[in-house]
Amino acid sequence: MDPRIPELGRFAEPALLILVSLSDGPKHGYAIMADVESGTGRPMGPGTLYAALARLEERGLIEALAPVERRRPYRLTAIGETVLGEQLQGLAAFAETGLRRLGRSPG
Amino acid sequence: MIALLLRLYPARWRDRYGDEFAAILESRPLGPFDVADVVLGALDAHLHLRGLGAATSHGKGFTMSLRIGGYAAVVGAILWVVGFGVASVDQSDAVWPWVVFLSGTVALLIALAGLSAFEARRYPRLVWAAFAVPAVGALMSAVGLVATALRLPGALLASMTPWEVWFVGLILFVAGSGLFGVACLRTGGLSRLGAAMLLVAGLAVVPMLAGTSGVVTWEPIVGALFAVLLIAFVGGWILLGIGAIRSDRRSFATVGGLT
Repeated sequence: MDPRIPELGRFAEPALLILVSLSDGPKHGYAIMADVESGTGRPMGPGTLYAALARLEERGLIEALAPVERRRPYRLTAIGETVLGEQLQGLAAFAETGLRRLGRSPG
Repeated sequence: MIALLLRLYPARWRDRYGDEFAAILESRPLGPFDVADVVLGALDAHLHLRGLGAATSHGKGFTMSLRIGGYAAVVGAILWVVGFGVASVDQSDAVWPWVVFLSGTVALLIALAGLSAFEARRYPRLVWAAFAVPAVGALMSAVGLVATALRLPGALLASMTPWEVWFVGLILFVAGSGLFGVACLRTGGLSRLGAAMLLVAGLAVVPMLAGTSGVVTWEPIVGALFAVLLIAFVGGWILLGIGAIRSDRRSFATVGGLT
C-alpha cells in the first residue's frame, strides 16, 4: 500500500495535512498552518505550505476562493474530497494491519 | 527582509501567490526555521516552474477527460435510447433512427473512454479491464449496424451476419457496462447510483437472453426484464455523466494553477 498522495513526491505529506485541514471547510494559508500545527504538534513552514498548495491547485484537488483583504481562502474540490477519502482509507487499512501485527486491536 | 525573501521566488509565482504569501510572512515573526523554509520553497518554485508546462497539461487532460466523458455519457444515452426506441417501433425502414442510435453508441464509447481515464488513476488494471469488454461490444455494435444498413452480403465476422455482429456487440456492450459499473463502485468518485444501475443492466442481460432464446417463454417476464435493462442502462450512463460534469465544474476553474 502506498499512503502518499500520487505524484507529489516530498510534498505528499504536507499536501495530505493540507487536505485534511480543508476537509471541514475553506481556510486561508495562515489558518491552515495553525490548524496543521495544532493537529500534529509540528509547525509547517510557509515555503512548504505554498509549495504544496500550488501542487494541489494544479492538480485540481483544491481551489482558491476570492481573497478577503490579502488572505485568499482555499477549499477542497470534489476530486480533492475523493482523493483525500481514498488516501485516508488506505492509511486506515495500513494502520489496522500494523496494529494487528503488534497484537493490539485497532480503535 | 520579507521583500527580499519574496524576490527569491520567480516572477510568475509572485504574480499568483505573492500578495497572500507576503501577508502570511507579515503575520508572525520570522525565525531561522521560517527563513530556511522560504529559501528552500523559492528554490523549489524555480525548479517546479520549469516542469509546470507538463504538469499543467496533465491536469488539463485529467479534467478534460472527465468533462468530455460526462457530456458524452448524457448525450450518448439519450441518443441511444431515442434511436433504439424509434427504430424498434418504426415500420417504415427509415434510416434516421439508426443514425441516431449509431451516434448514441459512438458517444457512449467516447464516454466509456473518458470516464475510464478518470477512474483509472487509482485502479488502472481493474478499470481498463472493465473498459475492454464494453468497448469491444460498442465497436462491434457500431460496425454491425453500419454493415446492416449497407446491406453487406454474407458473413461479417467469424461466420456471423452483420445483424448478428450488431446483436452480439449490443449484448457485450450492455453486459460490459455492468462490469464498468462494478469498477466505478470499487473506485468511487463518480455516481454510485449510476454505477449500480449499470451493474443491474449488465446482470439483466442473462435472463433477457434466456427469454429471447426461448428458455423463458412467459412474455410479461421477458418484457419486464427488457424494461429494467433499458431503464438501468440509460439511467446509469446519464447519472454517471451528470456526476462527472458536476465534479468537473467544481474543479476545472483552478486546474492550470499558476497560469
